[in-house]
Amino acid sequence: MNNGFEVDYAKIYQTIKTGIPILGDIKITQTLIVSWIVMIIITGLCIFLTRNLKVENISKRQAFAEMLVETGNNFVRNNTGGNKFDNLIPFVSALFATSVVSNLISLIGLRSPTADLSTEAAWAVVVFVMITATKIKTNGFGGYLKGFTTPIAVMTPFNILSELATPVSMACRHFGNILSGVVIDGLIYWALGLASAALLKLIPGAVGAFLSNIPILGLGLPAVTGVYFDWFSGCMQAFIFCMLTVMYIANAAEEG
Amino acid sequence: MNEKKNAGKSVWLFIALLALFVAVLFYTGYTKSVSDDQDLVTLVPWTFIIQICNLFIQVYLIKKFLFKPINDILAKRQELADRAIREARDAQTKADSLKEQYESSLTNAHAEAAQIVSDAQREAQNKADTMVREAQEEVAGIKARAAADIEQEKKKAINEAKDEIGSLAMDIAGKVVEKEINEADHKKLIDDFLNKVGA
Repeated sequence: MNNGFEVDYAKIYQTIKTGIPILGDIKITQTLIVSWIVMIIITGLCIFLTRNLKVENISKRQAFAEMLVETGNNFVRNNTGGNKFDNLIPFVSALFATSVVSNLISLIGLRSPTADLSTEAAWAVVVFVMITATKIKTNGFGGYLKGFTTPIAVMTPFNILSELATPVSMACRHFGNILSGVVIDGLIYWALGLASAALLKLIPGAVGAFLSNIPILGLGLPAVTGVYFDWFSGCMQAFIFCMLTVMYIANAAEEG
Repeated sequence: MNEKKNAGKSVWLFIALLALFVAVLFYTGYTKSVSDDQDLVTLVPWTFIIQICNLFIQVYLIKKFLFKPINDILAKRQELADRAIREARDAQTKADSLKEQYESSLTNAHAEAAQIVSDAQREAQNKADTMVREAQEEVAGIKARAAADIEQEKKKAINEAKDEIGSLAMDIAGKVVEKEINEADHKKLIDDFLNKVGA
């Protein structure tokens, strides 16, 4: 058994050479593969939940699907105060679903796509573009530029910094939480493996040597710590990301 | 129904194929280069771009497969509920108007009944009054006739008595004077006397 601790890096399965200067080669990494699995899971779930829809006398499955949709509708409507952003509902829901499933997929042994900064950066940039587009739509391009000079012109550089900090902080917050979960889970498994190896080596002979390769202590404790580091943290970060998205966009739509 | 089942089957087939594809990728990845890892904190341009595309594809899929059907169903149910409420309200209005109609007709009937009763009472009163009056008149007539009869009888009796008394007187007188009195001569005399007494 390897006694040194190593973080679970995203593996690169295939490298497709493109020769494009800045973008570089397309790397089919674990992140992308698991992302696609996540998408398949979500879409499959959606299809499964919306089969045989009825107006009356609905099944539990349909009730659950309706609850999900109502929750999404209410989440966006309550946080923006009205029906003005109804076309944002599928986006926020997709963001939340993808985030939650990506975070929790580490529970079945796959590497979370959200433990890769590229994923969160992609989402945060999309959100940033939406915020900016909403601001420009509300105040006009001149009004948007003028917004940087409030309350006084001297504040302009700081305003630009804070504007740029929005996507960076969103991406890094989510990424940091999930990565820390991955690292801590790895550490716990590593430590428990070492501990069980040390314990089982006490059994003399070949039996002990064989059994020390099985991290028997890794059975119970990670499930308990996983409640916080995977379940709570995963759901919380997805919620925070979506909440911030809705709040920022709703704020951007206010005249200012 | 059959079409739906087929659609469901094709969806599962699609998912199975994708899973197979992913499995093959995994396998080739593991066999080819296990140690080929990405840095822990890094921004890979293509991953970044592909993830943006993935997000929008996911938005489209979730919209198509979850939000559209469910929102359609919700709207349908809303429409159904609205219609039920509307129909109930219509029925209520109709019932109210019917009730009003019934009430007004009932009031009319009451008034009519009262009218009939009062008419009947008046008629009965009239009839009774007439009957009483007629009876009274009849009684008065009978009384008057009886009184006239009595008067006549009285007169008759008096006349008879006078005649009797006259003849008696004549007999007496004849016996007294012992002579045949010419009845015819003296009759006048006695009648005059009697008339004087009777007067």
